[in-house]
Amino acid sequence: MEEKPPVFRAWTHWYWFVMGVLVLEIILFYWLSRSFT
Amino acid sequence: MNYIDWLVLFGTLLFIVLFGTLKTRGNQNIEGYLKGDNTLKWWMIGVSIMATQASAITFLSTPGQAIEDGMGFLQFYFGLPLAMVIISVAMVPIYYKLKVFTAYEYLESRFDLKTRTLAALLFLLLRGLSAGITLFAPSIVLSTILEWPVYVTTLLIGSLVIVYVVSGGTKAVSLTQRQQLTVIMSGMFLAGILAYAKLPQNISFFDTVNVAGELGKFNLINVLPAGVENPEKLSFWEKVSRISQDRYNIWSGLIASTFLFLSYFGTDQSQVSRYLGGRSITESRLGLLFNGLLKIPMQFIILFIGVLVYVFYLFYQPPVFHNQVLLNRALQTQRADSIRAIQIQYEHLYAEKRKAVDGLVSAIKQEDEQRKKVFREEVKNLQQEENGLRTKVRATIGEAMPGAKIQDRDYIFLNFVLSYLPHGIIGLILAVMFSAAMSSMASELNALASTTTVDIYKRSMRKEAIPSHYLKASRFFTILWALLAMVFAMLANFAENLIQFVNIIGSLFYGTILGIFLAAFFVKRVQGTAVFIGAIIAEIVVLYCYFFTGLAFLLYNIIGCVVVVLVAYILQVIFDNTTKEEAAPKV
Repeated sequence: MEEKPPVFRAWTHWYWFVMGVLVLEIILFYWLSRSFT
Repeated sequence: MNYIDWLVLFGTLLFIVLFGTLKTRGNQNIEGYLKGDNTLKWWMIGVSIMATQASAITFLSTPGQAIEDGMGFLQFYFGLPLAMVIISVAMVPIYYKLKVFTAYEYLESRFDLKTRTLAALLFLLLRGLSAGITLFAPSIVLSTILEWPVYVTTLLIGSLVIVYVVSGGTKAVSLTQRQQLTVIMSGMFLAGILAYAKLPQNISFFDTVNVAGELGKFNLINVLPAGVENPEKLSFWEKVSRISQDRYNIWSGLIASTFLFLSYFGTDQSQVSRYLGGRSITESRLGLLFNGLLKIPMQFIILFIGVLVYVFYLFYQPPVFHNQVLLNRALQTQRADSIRAIQIQYEHLYAEKRKAVDGLVSAIKQEDEQRKKVFREEVKNLQQEENGLRTKVRATIGEAMPGAKIQDRDYIFLNFVLSYLPHGIIGLILAVMFSAAMSSMASELNALASTTTVDIYKRSMRKEAIPSHYLKASRFFTILWALLAMVFAMLANFAENLIQFVNIIGSLFYGTILGIFLAAFFVKRVQGTAVFIGAIIAEIVVLYCYFFTGLAFLLYNIIGCVVVVLVAYILQVIFDNTTKEEAAPKV
């Protein structure tokens, strides 16, 4: 069976992970701003 | 400060310098000295990138920024993870493929020598100035706090850095940054915990956050223009116009900051050299992404420490002026009576504010919205009066001691540490400041030396010499740039807020440098001369914006970048058409 290209897949995942964390952080900070101001 | 603090401070600094020097001593070649033999693992790269960016200014200014303006400064960092991803995808592979020593080498293979030299010179100008400020900020603050002459602190930091950077080059920089970041993180973490522990017993963590939020310190995200009564009622263009003049909001954070960080991490040699020393392209990319993940939480913690200090000073009388040494000196002058009179007014005002704060806390605990609103407004009004008195005392100190640095924002955090934290921790926090200054300066000197050697000296002045000659030249340039930074730091006395000043200086040049690189990476049609002229025009436009318009400085990054790419493209089209016309046979 032919192996899938692991590096490419892993890299794509890493990029999405970093961007996803950023989006979650912005949502969290927005919520904090609204809740405590 | 007592002997425990001195022991912790000097013990930490000497250990780091000796470790860095001894571990990397011995004969090196130019490749090892400038690139570290490509042995760094991803986490070392990440640590090195973070330690380079976080200078002493970060730890001196940022808590003060949170105390005075709240946590909105955090938005400035939102573009960083985006920039990390873009650099990992588009820039790192090209640097690796071409096996460059500096980012500017790539520009010659893509464009021509003059564009490479222009970018290298812009970098040297920008980074040379920044290295001076990187050193100036902690030197001036620490000299005041420790009551040493400013040249002593400047020489101490500068000389310690010279010892290990000249001896071990890039390897020593990365190695010492690991210890420095450990000291920095543990010191700041401890300071945060102790600041919280110092709050009155009946104030829970939730109360702390609530009080800070009620008083406007939790303004983490600004979507609409700040300082406007009903921003929702503004028209779309009015909103855009006002937002473009706000320093920090989510839009400038996500868009303009991305440009700034793309330029800083993608084209600034002090950062590029951090990941060019990676074991492989994968390690370099992971190192960048590691920074992208950790930077925002780290800045959040530093700003939150500022908020904790702010809440602490709601329950304990803060000093009217946070630079205690300068205040004491001013009290020896003829203006002493005026200053004392303001201090007495300030103490009365604080007693009133304290009652309002207690009222606010009890309203928060009872969830009484009506009383919350009343006390919140009362505290805010009293705070405004306090600020008025603080401005007055600053002006009086300025009159008492002409030429003295009367801005005390950068002293708030250190003054708190010195006044309220236990011995040992004081020494550790001072070690944090020195370590942060040294870690940034080490990277900057290393990058300044490699760019001067590789892009200017080796390329345009002495083309064919043996490798050991260039190694000697690199060491010589490291010392030369360190001496220049030290002279600059000793002579300079400016800037109201240091971290902002560093970012403004960066924004003046980064847009243009990024424009050159973006044109190189993504606009295949443009050639050297068009980009060169575009870059010069862009720099003129950015300087015009700085001196003659009120635009927020983060926007200079976009303006500079867009002008380079646009002008270069238009010029290239004109050049191509002219060439075609000249080449066409005349009938």
